[in-house]
Formats: sequence, C-alpha cells, structure tokens
Amino acid sequence: MSAEARVKFLLNGHPQEVPCEDARILLDLLRDDLHLTGTKRGCDLGTCGCCTVLVDGRPTLSCLTLARLTEGRSVTTIEGLTPPQGLSAVQRAFVDLGATQCGFCTPGFVVTATALLEENPRPTRAEIERAISGNLCRCTGYIKIVDAIAAASRSSG
Amino acid sequence: MHLDPFELHRPTTVDETVRLAGALAGRFDFLAGGTDLLPNYKMHLNLKPHLVALEDVDELRGFSADRLGAMARLADLERDPAFAATWPSVADAVGEVATPLVRASGTVGGNLLLETRCFFFNQSYFWRASLGFCLKADGDRCHVVPQKEVCYATHSGDLAPALMVVDAEVEVAGPAGRRRLPLADLYDAKGDGVRRLTLAPGELLVAVHLPRAARGRRGRYKKLRVRPAYDFPELGVAVAGRWTGDRVEELRIAVGGAEPRPRRFDTLTDALVGRTLDDARLRELAEAIGKSVRPVHNTFLLPDYRRRMVAVYVRRAVAEAREGTAG
Amino acid sequence: MASGPSRPLRLLGTKIPYVEGPLKVTGRAEYTDDIHRPGELVGRLLRSPWPHARLRSIDVAAARATPGVFAVLTGEKYPTPFGVLPITHDETALAVGKVRYIGDIVAAVAARDERTAEEALAKIRIDVEPLADYPDPQTGLSKVAEPIHARGLNGTNVQKEVVQHFGDVDAAFARAARTVRVRGSFVGVTHAFTEPLVTLAEATPDGRLTVWSATQVPHYLHRSLSEVLGIPMHRIRVIKPEVGGGFGGKSDPLPHEIVCAALAVETGRPVRMLLDREDVFFTNHGRHPTQNDVRIALDADGRILAYDIEAVIDGGAWSSFGTVTTYYNGVLAMGPYTVPNFRYRGRRVYTTKPPSGAMRAHGGTNIRYSVEVALDRLAEETGVDPFDLRARNALPPHSLTVNQFRITSTSFLKCLAVARERSGWDSKFRRLPFGRGVGLGCGFYISGSNSPIHFTPKMPQSTVHLKVDMDGGIAVHSMQADIGQGSNTLLAAIVAEVLGVDLERVHVQRVDSDVSPIDIGSYSSRVTFMMGNAAREAAEELRGKIVAGAAALLGVPAEGLEVGHERIHPVGRPDAGVPFLDALHRAMESTGALQATGAYRSPTLGGTFKGARAGTAPAYTFSAYVAEVDVDVETGEYRVEKIWAAFDCGRVLNRLAVEGQVEGSIHMGLGQLMGESMNYRASRLFNPSLLEYKVPAPQQMPEVEILLVGDDDPEGPFGAKEAGEGPLIATLPAVGNALYDAVGCRFLELPITPDRVLKGLDLRAKEGRRWKGA
Ligand SMILES: Cc1cc2nc3c(=O)[nH]c(=O)nc-3n(C[C@H](O)[C@H](O)[C@H](O)COP(=O)(O)OP(=O)(O)OC[C@H]3O[C@@H](n4cnc5c(N)ncnc54)[C@H](O)[C@@H]3O)c2cc1C
Ligand code: SF4
Ligand code: FES
Ligand code: FES
Repeated sequence: MSAEARVKFLLNGHPQEVPCEDARILLDLLRDDLHLTGTKRGCDLGTCGCCTVLVDGRPTLSCLTLARLTEGRSVTTIEGLTPPQGLSAVQRAFVDLGATQCGFCTPGFVVTATALLEENPRPTRAEIERAISGNLCRCTGYIKIVDAIAAASRSSG
Repeated sequence: MHLDPFELHRPTTVDETVRLAGALAGRFDFLAGGTDLLPNYKMHLNLKPHLVALEDVDELRGFSADRLGAMARLADLERDPAFAATWPSVADAVGEVATPLVRASGTVGGNLLLETRCFFFNQSYFWRASLGFCLKADGDRCHVVPQKEVCYATHSGDLAPALMVVDAEVEVAGPAGRRRLPLADLYDAKGDGVRRLTLAPGELLVAVHLPRAARGRRGRYKKLRVRPAYDFPELGVAVAGRWTGDRVEELRIAVGGAEPRPRRFDTLTDALVGRTLDDARLRELAEAIGKSVRPVHNTFLLPDYRRRMVAVYVRRAVAEAREGTAG
Repeated sequence: MASGPSRPLRLLGTKIPYVEGPLKVTGRAEYTDDIHRPGELVGRLLRSPWPHARLRSIDVAAARATPGVFAVLTGEKYPTPFGVLPITHDETALAVGKVRYIGDIVAAVAARDERTAEEALAKIRIDVEPLADYPDPQTGLSKVAEPIHARGLNGTNVQKEVVQHFGDVDAAFARAARTVRVRGSFVGVTHAFTEPLVTLAEATPDGRLTVWSATQVPHYLHRSLSEVLGIPMHRIRVIKPEVGGGFGGKSDPLPHEIVCAALAVETGRPVRMLLDREDVFFTNHGRHPTQNDVRIALDADGRILAYDIEAVIDGGAWSSFGTVTTYYNGVLAMGPYTVPNFRYRGRRVYTTKPPSGAMRAHGGTNIRYSVEVALDRLAEETGVDPFDLRARNALPPHSLTVNQFRITSTSFLKCLAVARERSGWDSKFRRLPFGRGVGLGCGFYISGSNSPIHFTPKMPQSTVHLKVDMDGGIAVHSMQADIGQGSNTLLAAIVAEVLGVDLERVHVQRVDSDVSPIDIGSYSSRVTFMMGNAAREAAEELRGKIVAGAAALLGVPAEGLEVGHERIHPVGRPDAGVPFLDALHRAMESTGALQATGAYRSPTLGGTFKGARAGTAPAYTFSAYVAEVDVDVETGEYRVEKIWAAFDCGRVLNRLAVEGQVEGSIHMGLGQLMGESMNYRASRLFNPSLLEYKVPAPQQMPEVEILLVGDDDPEGPFGAKEAGEGPLIATLPAVGNALYDAVGCRFLELPITPDRVLKGLDLRAKEGRRWKGA
C-alpha cells in the first residue's frame, strides 16, 4: 500500500492513522477495519440512519462518506458519546423510557439526538420528530424515542 | 456494499479543479456531498475511475442572500432564518429534501445536478442485468417507453424548481472559462434524457446567483411524496410572485419531480401579469399547467395521480404564496 | 399450573427497562455482524435473474480458479430439502434443477474479500431453459404447463388447500335477516427489520460447527443445519447473538444460513454471510399477498349466524409456514365473536416470486380487515352502532368456538367499553365534518401456537434452567429468542420476582445450543406465555431449595417461611428472617451450586378433525381500537390523528414492553394500510430498498392512547398473555372504517394510497351518493 493510502483523523478524541484506500467507505473502515461495531449497517444506501456518526460535530451518514474525506477531521461514533462510566443523559433516557427495543437503530438515534440537543436544547415534539426522520426504527413506532429525547432535554439542566 | 476502486482527487481551487477535469476528461465524476453519487456507485451505475472531490475548493463553499456556493450544505441553509425570509420558496424546498441526515451532507450543487431517477435505473447491477440494461446505464433501450430511444427518467431534485421561480442563475467554470446562465437553461430541453444537462464536458458548477430583482417575491414550494421524510419528490411545485392587492405584478411557476426536466410556465403566467387572479382564473391556470405536465410510470405513485395533483398543488402553492409573507 | 400471585407483585406489572438496554444504547450489544473471527472469509451469493427456469448446467471452473477464492458451491452438493414445517420440505439451500424466482440462490462463493467474491461470481456461467413464469396465483389455481413444484396439487400451483365447514352455512344464509359480502385485496408486505440477515459460521478441527445467526428460532435453524449438512445436531452449535428485529422474517431456517455453514465446512475457515438490503427483500417471507371474499349473515337480532370465507393466498416460490397461513386465514376469524356456522376455503398458491411466510400477526391480519369492514357495513345497514353490534356477538369467556377453540379469559367487552368511552365515540361517529371520521376495528389472536412444530405436544415447548453459585448471581439459560420484544427482561423479572431478589442478580445468558435448553423461539406470540410459565416453574423450584436453606438456618419448618425482598423470613415477619445470600449458602452446603429447571407443555386442545390443531392456543388476546382520521379530499392524502388502543393481554407484566409492542404494532399496521407494498410487476420485485418500500416516517405516527384492560388469564404466567402480534391487527380495520366515516367510501384494496382515496371519492360522486352533507 502506498504511503498516501492512509487516513489520519481524530477518532473519538484520539488521533488515528490507518491504511485506507480511496474508495473505502467510512462505515466499512469503522466496522470492518477498526472493529468499532457500535455504528450499524442497516441499508448501506443512506435511508436508515443506523450508520450515523458525527463528523466535526455534524451527524453524518457514514455509509455515504468516503473515509479519506475525513482526513484531518474529528469523527465521533457512539463509542465516543458514551461516558467511561455510566450512560449519557440521552442514553439513560432511551433505556428508562423504552426507546430501544431490538436496539439495532439505537446507536444512530442516540447520535442524532445528541447532536439535536446540542443545537436545540429544548426541542418541541414536532422538532424532535423532524430531526429523527432520517433514522428508521421498525420496532418502537417512534413514540418512546420522542419521549426519551424530550426527557433527556429536560434532564440536562 | 463496497465501492469499486477509483482514484480520489482533492483540488483546492476552481482553476485546479477545471484543469483536473480537463485532464481526466470523461473518466471522472465530481463528488460533492456524495449522497446521490455514492448510492449510485454502490449500485454500479456509470462508474468512473476518478472522483474529483469538491469539498476543499474554498470558492464553492458558503452562501449569502445573493449567492449560494455549489458546496453550500442544505443543512446550513435550512438553519438560516434570514435566508428563509428572503427566499421562501427555496427555503421550503431545502427543508423538504430527503432527510435531515442527507441534508447534513447534501449540497446545493449536488441537488441541482443530481442524477434523474427511474424504477428501472435506481437498481442494483444484478437487478438491471436480470431485466436487460437500459439506455441510461449499460444498455440501449428504454423499458418505460420502449418505442423511443429517449430516457424519461425523472428530474427529482427539490431545489431546481424553487430556484427557477426566483430567476436564479448558475455560474459554471470550464476549460473555456466561466459563464453564467439561467438555471432553467442548465437542463437540456433538446437532450435525449441521458444527456440531460447543458454543461460542457468538464464544466463545474461554481455557484447559484439569486438576483436582487427577485427579492421580495412571495414564494412557496409544495412537494408530493408518499412520506414526509426520505422520499424524492413525486411532484414539486414552486411559486414566486408579487401582488398588489389581488393584481398580479409578477408570477413564476415551476414544476419538478414529474418529467425529465424541471419546467417553468412563463407563457401562462406572463399572461396574468396586470390582472387579478381570482379563484376561477387560478383554477384555469392550474388546469392548464396540469394538462401540459406528463409524468410516466417510473416512480412509486401512478402517473395519472401525479398528473392530477399538478393542478391541485399549483393552485394551493399559488394561494399559499400569496398569503405568505413577502421576503 | 400457574395460579394467581400469592403475594402482591413487586416487580412484575411495573415499567421494567430492558436489562440489556445499557448495552444497546452504547453500541455494545453484540449482533452477529459485530462478531469477528480470525481468518474470516466473505461469503456471497449468486442469485437467479430468471423467474422460472430449468438449470441445464452451471460452470464454476473460472470462479474456482480465481485467486483468493476458497470455495464455490452449487445446489447438488447439499440437495436435501428442508423447510420450517416438517410436512412441507420443499426448499433447498441452493437451487437444484430449477430456479423459481428472481433472487433464488444458484451458487455461492467464499473468498478472501467482497471484491474477490464478486469477481468470482461474475465468472459463473449458467445455462438454463427458461420456463413460463406464474406471478399471479389465480393462474396457478388451474392446471399449468410447468408447475413450479412437483408437489403442487394435480398439476396446479396450489400448495395447500383447506376446506372446512362447521354447522350449516347455507341454511344460515337462507334464514338470515341481512347478509353482506366484502372482497378484500392485499398486496404483500415485508418485515423490514433494521438488521439485515447475517450469519457467521466456523467449522473447527474438533469436528464441530458453530453458527452465529440473526434468527428468531435458533432451534429450527439447528435442526435444518443438521438435516441438510448431514451433521448430527450435537456437533453443531447455534448461537443467537442480539437480533435487530425479526417480526417473523427470521423465523424460518433460511437458505443463506445453511449456505454459509456449508461454506464454512467446505473451507474449514470462518465464513461471514452478510446480506445486502436488496437480498433481504428477495429473501422476503413477508405477509402473503391475499385476495379474500367474506360473506357474513346476521339474524334479525343482529347476531352473527355465519361466516363464509374464501381466500387465495400468494405463497411465492416456497412453502415456508404456508400451510399454517392457509389455515389461519380462515380460523383466525373465529374470534372475537361467536360464529355458529362457519365455512372456509383457502388456497395457497405457489408463484414465481420471493417466498411469503410469517409476518407479525401472521394469518390474522388480512382476513380481519375484511371481516371488520363487513361488520361495519352490517352495522350501518341495520342501523346499529358498530360497538353495539360487536358487543352483542362477543365470545363469552370459558367457551368453545364452533371449531373447538377453547376460549378461557377474554376481556373483549371491557376493551369495547373503554375504547368507546375514551375515544368519545358517541359524540363523533357520523357526526364529525366531512373528511374527518372515526372507525372501530377489533382483533383476536393466538397467545402461542399450541402445536410445537417439530415435536409431539408431550415434549416441552419451553424449558428454562437456572443455576446459582456462591456469588449469588442467578444464571438463566433458555433458547427463547429475544429479538427486541423484551423476553430476556421478562425472563429475568420473573425469576427475580419469584425469588424476591433484585433484578441485577439475574443474568440471562446468550442463547447457545450447547447450554441453552430448548425453547422453540420467537414466533406465534408464544414466548411470554410459555417461557414465562417455564421460568416461573424453574424459579419456584429454586426458591424451594433456598427456602430450605433458610429453614435450616432458622430452625423452623420451610412451610412457615416466605420470600421478602432479598430475604427469607417467617410469614408476615420480614425482620425475623435471613438474607438471601445466607440462605443460599446454607442450601449449597450439600450440593454446591443450585440448579433448577422449569418447562412448559401445551395442554391438549382442539378437535379431532383434519387441521383441528391449527389456531389452537392456550389463550387468546382481544382488542378494540378506535382510529380518528383526517382526509384531504382533494388530494386523497390523509392523516391518522389518534388511535385508542384497548387491548386484553391478560395481566401486564412489563408495562414498558407492552406499550412498546402496541406502539410498534400500530406503526407496522399503519405501514401496511397506508403505503407499504412489495411492488411486483409480473414476477419482478421493483422496490427492494428501504427508500422505495414505504415504512412510515415518525411524523406519520398518530397519538396513541393505550388502554390495557385484561383480566388475569387462568393459565398465563401470573395471568399474562401475548402482546407481540395481537396489537397490530385492529389497527388496519379501525383506520379503514374511519376513512369510511370520513368520506363515505369503502376501501377494500390495501394499501390505501392517496390515489385510491381519490378513486373512491370519484366513484361516490359518479354514483351521486352524498355523505355528511358533501
Ligand atoms: C435516502 C435519500 C433520499 C433522498 N431524497 C431526496 C429528495 O427528497 N429530494 C432531493 O432533491 N434529493 C434527494 N436525495 C438526493 C440527494 O441526497 C440530494 O439531492 C443532495 O442534495 C445531493 O447533493 P450531494 O452534494 O450529496 O450530491 P453528490 O452526490 O455529491 O452529487 C450529485 C451529482 O452532481 C454532480 N455534482 C455535484 N456537485 C457538482 C458541481 N459543483 N459541479 C458539477 N457537478 C456536480 C456529481 O458529480 C453527481 O453527479 C436523496 C438521497 C438519499 C440517499
Ligand atoms: S426512462 Fe427508460 S432509459 Fe431512462 S432510466 Fe428509465 S428505463 Fe432507463
Ligand atoms: S446504513 Fe447508512 S443510512 Fe442505512
Ligand atoms: S429498536 Fe428495533 S429498529 Fe429501532
């Protein structure tokens, strides 16, 4: 592999430099090369949101992102949103209010919700519904997900 | 799903991009947010050995009330209330694109230039091979209208009609230098559908310019889709206009999501300037537009229904635009 | 077996967050594709581009010669037929002799990476003789030139025909005061779980095969692997990691699972088979496209005299659960009303399309829609309120249906009463302005199929093992399959409840056939009822041992003791007891770690006629839903504003989970009603993607008011019944009938897309019928 076929970025706060060919998709790099399996592959085509990560703080579909274009940026996965001990407010609310069933969509939702609350700490229900409308959940009917995000927004100060 | 190998280029200036484009002529695609191109690549649709990523080209970034850089992100536009107040039809359209996650990466340029869509085209290689390839990729016939050697794939971008009604112009840069053209002229009226743009090979979309003269038009974009998220337009109607009382001073209507190109209906709307647009006249106008739009059966909803909705959506969009606040 | 609780429940009945919730919200829960094995290969499938063709030859030489390819498989190597039902083994791991739909698996490759695998697949040359395809089940009812399977009845494509007649339907219709006929038409829908199908398999030098798979029924997979690969079950180990949703779509043993295992055997290396989303759509096994024809007769008092039902069910290429489906489409109409005369003819027909199978509320959804619409019409035509008509006909508790289903608990009347009151029905029905309406739909479903598919009813359907050692942690083993519905949590909660200990002491172990005793998995809404009883029995046995330890410590007879919170003490005197751990350690002195086991066996149910067992269940659930809708009469677009969901699941054991099941069911039911469709043109599926398969968006969800009104079931664990599938059923007719109330049109073709709404309105206008002033 040539010297430049690598990508250097900040992954969950830690500098990373890993081999990466041009056509490598970020999701594949995270899951298959780095074994950061919290980020899920649901459709691979941008529809389900299971693969959502933060790139420079912005929720991003990792299945539609070239890994090499994260060069020099900061990538945060669900692993990076989890405190060393315990759970974040969003995570806590998802557990307590039943917003996770099979759990496969959940990391994506947690990432999206975390970014939403960062930007809009007191969203209305309608704003929450809109914000999560790129994340597909087949189990919950979304009601408890909206409940949990609303609860997390109240609990954080 | 992996991507076949390609070489990725990351120019930083428009000139460098244009030079690269010239050197790679015919063997590359531009990559903006990638939300349209990469799904198509994953389905092995018209792959090229080179990708020229536009994200480091400074000049393409950002937006103001007069200019949208080609690489302006839809999510950023969506979050700017001042922009929404100035350009209501455009803001409506931006908020209706795909999903918030797609809008986070998706760009203005990518939206205007996105690949047209068809049930026979947006399928995996396996799927297409099993039926026999079509004109638009790898094949030589059309499954929708087999009699003709023309592609009817639908223009499915939300922004184009919304920008067309405010007379937006696009700035492009190519081997022959820079030029500006009305957005409406970006879509090739004489093409065979496979060739659908008037861009010369290697030409790059730099920015969209929003004319000052169009500021203050009231506007609305209404989109027909099955679900309020995810779905591409099955029809998109954009309106912008100016009224004095009930009298029309200016009116523009464009329809997208229904045909291979977004289209404006200036002849019909110009005829109304200086007249009052009462309910009956509005109905007439809407019906006339509805009659001229001809969707084919290559999307989820049936063409008859989409066509019937044109009149309803036009009528409502005009009524709502008129009620709306001016920019 | 189970009886009412002897003391107030401490944990059960509250909202119990999922025990594995913290793992799921942090991305630490382990799904099949998250597991990595050293030296893994990638498995890929070559699918048939033909809907129906005879295979003449398959040339894999070039594929085999591709560098980096470890194995190439075609059908002849593993031709043993399999299938979820022992009586209809008509599937093979890879096509043998014929392909039967676009997407049928023809060959498979194991290679060092995805690219190499695909390169190899592209080199496989298949020579075929194309055959006529049969996308339409109606064609397959008569003799066809090229039957899809040799086992089709008399040269047709009919896979299964069910004819049943109880009472005298013709006589009932002859004396009826009023009759109605409804013909419903339903496209196929699919599960669309978020986790794609995926299997990982590894054959090791000790002669064993380990298979990790996203499955709802590890045990049936285990059996099928053994049958097809010819390896005894005890040399195969099936592990079910976390599963990202199933809804029936992971309940059949699926061909890719077997192919993956076969590739692992062939190569001696671990092989991963992760299906693309398109592959998942082709694998399907979703709800059958169905045409049904329902006639109902009423007497002059508004009592149901008879049902006469026909159904033609589009099975796709294989049998799957189809024989059961064919019965269910008739017999699941047996409740929630008394039907004294009943006739049914159901035919499931093979077609050259991806196989249909079991999907949430299997067999009970489409027939229910037609029946409930028919009742809505009858209510209107006889001038009776829809609630009154249904209440008049409610099945009584502790009764037998005409086909000998044993009904025990039912709170159907309560469901009706509470739904009527909470929804404000009496002030809304036919009184809302044009375009706005309310509708009632009711439901009935099995709480666990009484017939375990692979055993005699004498073998337990569910087994639970407990083990507790010095640390005081209780390990729970069972092959029940949590796929998101919360069965691990319920299992832990039942054990904690019975032992009086904190939930955190209980550790539900991952399903692993080496150590998990058999439970036949997550389908037919059986888990709470059956596993719940088994868990309770096991926990009670363990409690007996620990109480004996306490008795020895305290020097009193065990009969005088009870368990309190983390203590065992004399009845009514919590202060006088001993801590749980002390009692445990005393009990362990003679045997070491304590173990206990519990099992659930099906009771003997049903008649003796052919097919009598189909639809028998130890209990049934009931529901009455009211939906309120708002229709845009110019575009046909509509919104479901609210659903009042009255559901009888017996006693609620985990309120959080039950609510989640109801809400998720409503979402899925609305999907089928509003826009989901397996969109075929001829034999070809046009929308194998989550973009073009229209699972409803969050903004489309109505407000949901959940009304759980069940009384304790006499045999359910602590009085509970199912809540996983039943809550879906009433959604569809409630909305369908609400649309009628809103605009005066009946919609009998699903999904009810806006264009269909407009078509209905046009038709009404043409007929000159007025509705609510419009
Ligand atoms: C699930 C899903 C749903 C979607 N729904 C919608 C929808 O509802 N409405 C809608 O409009 N779109 C939709 N899209 C399509 C797409 O995401 C958006 O249109 C988006 O704005 C495209 O922008 P992009 O930057 O990602 O484009 P890219 O994918 O990067 O580019 C699109 C095309 O434009 C070309 N291109 C991009 N920029 C330039 C430039 N500056 N000069 C020359 N050529 C250029 C590229 O070569 C490519 O051919 C959807 C996509 C997905 C995955
Ligand atoms: S319209 Fe015809 S040529 Fe164009 S994509 Fe569809 S099938 Fe292909
Ligand atoms: S996996 Fe990326 S959106 Fe579905
Ligand atoms: S919890 Fe299963 S998909 Fe959301």
